Amino acid sequence: MSRIRVLNTSILLFAIFLLQETVVSRINFPIDGFSLYLAALMILLSLEDRNGALVFGFIGGLIMDLSVAADTPFGQWALVLTAIGYLFSVNKESIGDFTDSPIIFLVFISLASALSLLLFLVIGAMLGQEIGALTHVVSIIFANTLWSFLITPLFLPAIIKARTALLSNRERV
Amino acid sequence: MARGGGNRSRLLLILLLVSSLFLITLDLRGVNLAGSIRSGVATVFSPVENLFSKLFSPIGNFASDFRNFGQSKSKIKQLEKEVDLLKSKEVLDEDLVGQLSQLKNVLDLAGRGGYKVVAAKVINRGSSATFKQTLTIDIGSRDGVSKNMTVISDGGLVGVVKSVNANSSIVLLMSDPTFKIGVRIAGTQGIGVVSGQGGNKYLLQLLDATGEIKVGDVLVARGSEGGRPFVPGVPVGTVTSVQSNASSITQNADVEGLSNLDRIGVVAVVVSAPKQDPRDSLIPKPAPTVTVFITPTPSPSASK
Repeated sequence: MSRIRVLNTSILLFAIFLLQETVVSRINFPIDGFSLYLAALMILLSLEDRNGALVFGFIGGLIMDLSVAADTPFGQWALVLTAIGYLFSVNKESIGDFTDSPIIFLVFISLASALSLLLFLVIGAMLGQEIGALTHVVSIIFANTLWSFLITPLFLPAIIKARTALLSNRERV
Repeated sequence: MARGGGNRSRLLLILLLVSSLFLITLDLRGVNLAGSIRSGVATVFSPVENLFSKLFSPIGNFASDFRNFGQSKSKIKQLEKEVDLLKSKEVLDEDLVGQLSQLKNVLDLAGRGGYKVVAAKVINRGSSATFKQTLTIDIGSRDGVSKNMTVISDGGLVGVVKSVNANSSIVLLMSDPTFKIGVRIAGTQGIGVVSGQGGNKYLLQLLDATGEIKVGDVLVARGSEGGRPFVPGVPVGTVTSVQSNASSITQNADVEGLSNLDRIGVVAVVVSAPKQDPRDSLIPKPAPTVTVFITPTPSPSASK
């Protein structure tokens, strides 16, 4: 994995983050909200090799920590998404090439987003943050999973194409 | 070879996890690394948010409009009449008129309470992935806004300023589950604490278990020392149901917020508390009912 690809992918992630923070979060979804950024990051992590999943999990987490609305410690999302990147890297081979079956891929991405949110909450609770009412938390995680499943097909090909464009010739082979 | 790659991955994992924990520790120990970075990001984002706010304003509430589609026929007929009326008045920009109306009402509320306010436009909402209910407004430290200032809308309380940048500020909404405010029941003067529940419903815990509380009671902010974070007298909500329990040391009640936080476009930040507590003077009064008496007069044809 070349440094230039790390830089390019980071820029791509930041652009998606900008879109999430300025456009997607403005939309009042019927049940809570949807994190385009989290879903896009999960797609990228699922397509990466072991080291790539870890590195982009960490970088993706650092970018998510930049959220102006967050009052959580800087690095919390980085920790969560590095762990998720590790889970991706460990389990990817056992799941197989799930890009051939899009529905399973979507379920996988949606559940991974939900797991990220859950892990974020658990680590937040361990750090002494108030997490609010259980129903509220469950509603947010459920809504994000549902919207990820429904909306991800709309931008999934674009993310895969963008990632392919960022690969070096050697990596494409 | 594969083993070497595995070891390298493990080393990388440990390195990244330690880096994350190091950053968290720095933040928790008060090194203001995150604050300055987030402030920088907010400064970069606010012009983009402003731009998208103008571009996407009509579609922002698309989903909630769609959800409320199944309204009664009478409501639709009434709205159709209103649309005709608006067309006849040649209103050029409905969105702008709505914002002006909200602005007028919020300034009116601030004027009656004696609050010195700075009006602001809502330019963004916080992402749900942060588990925080926030708004971004288009004014910041350059406009005299600072942390822990009360934010009001035409209905009443909206929230409190959580962080401030040069050109924008983040407002923690009163619906956030971590939000709590000391309130007073208008009239009986019983005191309690209202906490956010994630939606437009709030929980009131009345501190006096024997205090009188009934459905329809209006709650106003008690105010904080020096007007920070809450100025006194701001309407907070209306009691919708009371849960009385003889064994409990407090009385609980469900409260409905007076501000519709889903449809907020214009708010005002209270930069200076009033010299005198406005007490209950800001409570929304019900619109007066007009009664028309008609005395039937016999028509000339009937008298013949």
